[in-house]
Amino acid sequence: MIPFIQLFSLYVIIHGTSGPGGGFQGGVVFGASFILYIIAFNLIRGKKRLPESVNTVFSSLGLYIYAGLGFLCIIFSFGVAQYLNYGFLPFTDHFEKNRAVGMDLVEIGIGIMVMGIIASIFFDLAGTEEDREEGEKKESK
Amino acid sequence: MTRLPVIALILISFLCALFFYVAEDIPVFCDPNSPSIKYVELFSMNAEKVEDFLEKDVIPKSLIDQFLRRGFPRPSRVGKVDGREGEWNAFIPKEELHYSKEVKYYLIKKEEDQLKVFRYAFVVRWIEKGEEETGVPNMVTHGLADYRGFDTLGEIVVIFTAGVSVILLLRRRGRL
Repeated sequence: MIPFIQLFSLYVIIHGTSGPGGGFQGGVVFGASFILYIIAFNLIRGKKRLPESVNTVFSSLGLYIYAGLGFLCIIFSFGVAQYLNYGFLPFTDHFEKNRAVGMDLVEIGIGIMVMGIIASIFFDLAGTEEDREEGEKKESK
Repeated sequence: MTRLPVIALILISFLCALFFYVAEDIPVFCDPNSPSIKYVELFSMNAEKVEDFLEKDVIPKSLIDQFLRRGFPRPSRVGKVDGREGEWNAFIPKEELHYSKEVKYYLIKKEEDQLKVFRYAFVVRWIEKGEEETGVPNMVTHGLADYRGFDTLGEIVVIFTAGVSVILLLRRRGRL
């Protein structure tokens, strides 16, 4: 069932510009699929499936995609310095189509970021007290 | 029966009643023609001579003076609203930074012998020009990611800060 949920969330993110949907919603659905995995199996297998390092990278990658796209806009607008005006990006020939492609990329960034943050908050909250104490012992050693 | 559940029941039923009332009392959303979201009234003036000029699609000088005295941009041309008697659109010319095209800006409406002047709200431009300007048919998305891109960037930063602070407090227990 989890692959179907993830496929649906990717559909929601990709169709954020042409139909109902968007980055926030798709990201939340994707994060919920990981939460379902942990509820069905357990936290350790969930952490194997989505390691903490990968999760942290994901949660900051989305923000970097968004802000970096705005920075690219500054570079390509040649002195006008219009932050987040996607029309100047050189994807296609038309100003309006560029804006659409830029918006798609921004939605993907939002989706990745929301997914990472939701999963990481759930991983942190789901650990029991024993897990934490074991972790502290490991850290202190 | 203890007192606490009774008080909670009373409070919750009060909240339910309040929300039912609010849901019944909500004004009609999504009606693009309702006056409260379509335009803002600026001023009204005497209609006698001005109307003849407007019928010929010419802006009278007294009207331009009214605009400039209140600090509004100068209209360049007027045109009749399709299918409406006694209503005119006034356009302002192309301006380099804020408007890259000619924009429909004022609505002039005749009511009895007074001429009322309205300014179009941003929503009108959003609904009518959004798809053409951004190439995206979903009205919510091009509002969220393009027109209000800075706002969405701020929302993203809020979520990111929440996630990072949870990592700091729970995973690392406050140690930096």
